[in-house]
Amino acid sequence: MPTRRVLANGTRVVVQEFHASDVVAIQLWVDAGGRDETSSELGLAHYLEHMLFKGTVTRAPGFVEREVEGLGGRINAGTSLDYTYYHALLPPPRTVATIEMLSDISVNSTLSQETLELEKRIVLEEMRLGEDNPRRHLALRLYEVLFDGHPYGRPVIGTRELIQALSRETLVAFYRRHYVPESFVLVVVGPVVPSAVLAAAERTLGQLPRSGLKRLPLPAPAAVRTKMLEVERPGTQAYLGMAWLGPKLDHADTPVVDLLVSILGQSRSSRLPQALRERLGLVSSVSAGYSPLEAAGAVTITAQLEPANLARAEAAILTELQRVREHGVTDAELRRAVTAAEARDAFSTETAEGRAYAFGRAETVWRLEEELAYVDRLRSVTPDQIRSAARRYLDPERYNRVAFVPPAR
Amino acid sequence: MTSRVSLARLGLALALVGIPSAAAAQPPGITRHLLPNGMTVIVRENPAAPVVTASLQVRAGSRFETPEMAGITNFLLRTMIRGTSRRSATELAEAAEEIGGNLDASGEVESAEIRGEALARHWEGLLGLIAEVALEPSFPGEEIERERRLILSQIKTRAETPFTLSLDALLRELYGSHPYAWPGVGLASAVGRLGRGELVARYRAVFRAERMVLAVSGQVSHERVVRISERLFAKLPRPGTGEVGAAAPTTPVGARRVLERPAQQAQVLVGYLGPGLSDPAYPAVRVLGAVLGGGMAGRLFVELREKRGLAYALGVLIPFRTGPSFFVTHLGTAPENSAAAEAGLLAELERIRQASVGREELARAKAYLLGNFALDRRTNARQAWYLAFFEVIGAGWDFPERYAQALDAVTAADVEAAARRFLIHPTIVVLLPPAR
Repeated sequence: MPTRRVLANGTRVVVQEFHASDVVAIQLWVDAGGRDETSSELGLAHYLEHMLFKGTVTRAPGFVEREVEGLGGRINAGTSLDYTYYHALLPPPRTVATIEMLSDISVNSTLSQETLELEKRIVLEEMRLGEDNPRRHLALRLYEVLFDGHPYGRPVIGTRELIQALSRETLVAFYRRHYVPESFVLVVVGPVVPSAVLAAAERTLGQLPRSGLKRLPLPAPAAVRTKMLEVERPGTQAYLGMAWLGPKLDHADTPVVDLLVSILGQSRSSRLPQALRERLGLVSSVSAGYSPLEAAGAVTITAQLEPANLARAEAAILTELQRVREHGVTDAELRRAVTAAEARDAFSTETAEGRAYAFGRAETVWRLEEELAYVDRLRSVTPDQIRSAARRYLDPERYNRVAFVPPAR
Repeated sequence: MTSRVSLARLGLALALVGIPSAAAAQPPGITRHLLPNGMTVIVRENPAAPVVTASLQVRAGSRFETPEMAGITNFLLRTMIRGTSRRSATELAEAAEEIGGNLDASGEVESAEIRGEALARHWEGLLGLIAEVALEPSFPGEEIERERRLILSQIKTRAETPFTLSLDALLRELYGSHPYAWPGVGLASAVGRLGRGELVARYRAVFRAERMVLAVSGQVSHERVVRISERLFAKLPRPGTGEVGAAAPTTPVGARRVLERPAQQAQVLVGYLGPGLSDPAYPAVRVLGAVLGGGMAGRLFVELREKRGLAYALGVLIPFRTGPSFFVTHLGTAPENSAAAEAGLLAELERIRQASVGREELARAKAYLLGNFALDRRTNARQAWYLAFFEVIGAGWDFPERYAQALDAVTAADVEAAARRFLIHPTIVVLLPPAR
């Protein structure tokens, strides 16, 4: 079991001793993501994440090489709608030094004008790369229609215009507002002594003055209005995406929808692949997904297929939804889905960073104790609950659809 | 929805420079056994998590193919998990899911693999399923057709993805008629044509005990894994047929090919033929690759990304190959920057041929490589794959240990010699969207 401690200034620390690992995972999670931007600030959280690797008042640029890479470590970061996180893996003797480094970049980064300008080109390349990837781009467009008018419907990476126009003042203001002790979660998993980690956290992050920041709660997104979007893309294959609103992370239905989606389309034997890929031969791949975010959830079904099969595939998906709404699921399906979840959980504990990620995400957007008890909650779900959830969330007459089709000849 | 930022894939060096690395110290708990029929079983006991993974690899892969049957190995393996004498494709998938796992199979370049994972308490069930697929495939006709369609669509996706399209074009240029010229998934011309008879014949030729290695990693006991494997795989036929080795590819003279495709980014790839695993220069070439493309301090990252903003993703690819490997540098950039990016890549490749590599730079590159190599082998799935792979290609399951020591011993002079020997006559592929 991990140890959890809240420091006097609101920073949370989660530590777990894990001796099977010969490296230590050190992560800093921040309550700052795409959802915290105003519509004129899109892309700021992600841009800031790039800039935190460029130097602080006392750490010259190149510190990642000197203090991480060159000493036997690696570090990277990711930005999402609800959070940003910085994740490092190092030899255990570097634990305290790395906590100091993360603490330093989290509040003392220089964000120099010159570096900021140079980074614009790199972020624009990252944007282009995403657009050239059909699956990634499909997810982006689906969220855009599903969460139309809600912060979750906006691109985390920002827009070309806003990135090009981004100023240092805007970036610094965002940094000062959101990178504050109340927003931080430090997670350390590996062959470490928890008391030493807690002491290091207290001496570094723990010394930052409280800011009084209260993160604004997000409203629930508006109910789904059916929207169908067809986009031409180069290539000869089509991509289909369908989306519904699902329960948010902290909701009694979350484990139920998790299992429902697993039974529909997360493994080879699940319903959509069996029907569309195996029996009907309509798609080369199809899967279902559920992303429970802090303020809302998204249930998506995506497929890759020949353009001529688009309409039939969509109809077949709706037939499967109708079937689960009317007849529910079998005990065997439910048992397999619970076993799959148990296995996912077991495999995520193989590595120090797998554990740290689960703890960090839960502490940031949910609650650690909920995460630790989650598999047990899944075990108590009944087939009746799954059928009710299918009826509540997967309306075959109200959903959003995005299709990528090859250009007309 | 995570927009994940890659600061390139950074390496973890468990070893500080000069100290034998953690990668070099083979963890305890790995044992190798030769079954009476000639099949090898390697077990890694790992208590870290209640899971088990297995990799059954066969000495077969696209490198043993001809252009007329390019992709037959992968096609065969894909078909094998589509039905056995006891279970249909769906029943196989369900059986794997019942034990908290999954089962998959594919043919790669150097080997073919049936792999699976499960909750540790079901380790025996997992091995049973893998043995069933390996020994009793039924090759149902309709499943062959279904799999053929899926593979053809996969090949099409490769051809519609800018990076893989460019890489495949480059490998064709580099390797000519050598089987390394096509990817493991094969060529549409062959996959579209191959029949059941050819798949069955291929199965009989390669699924022979002495060509197979089973590696198991997880919360298991090696005695029990060996005892059960011996029973499960007892019926494997022993003697195999002789195999045809491919002739060495002729050295490319250097070509430049431009592909026109609609895309947001241009792709620029510059490649060379490199040494095989058993070539003494192989470790030096990997270090050379890390000086250029390893992590945030790699020259390409510093010069082309950080200083000039020419790319977000860029790097160097060098695979593990028994025959001549390749050395490919690549980046994606805005179409209007493609000429500058190409010139920039070529300039860095020329610079490393002309000037020596500094002591610190060499140390960093080695630390990066050793660390990455160690990090990549921490999950049970990766461990099982590495153990089976190096054993089945003939390098030996303990190759990583020797390889790590060899990396550690590489000198600046070795790197310079490698650059002069291999970085000659660049072959270039540029993918550009049509001008508006």
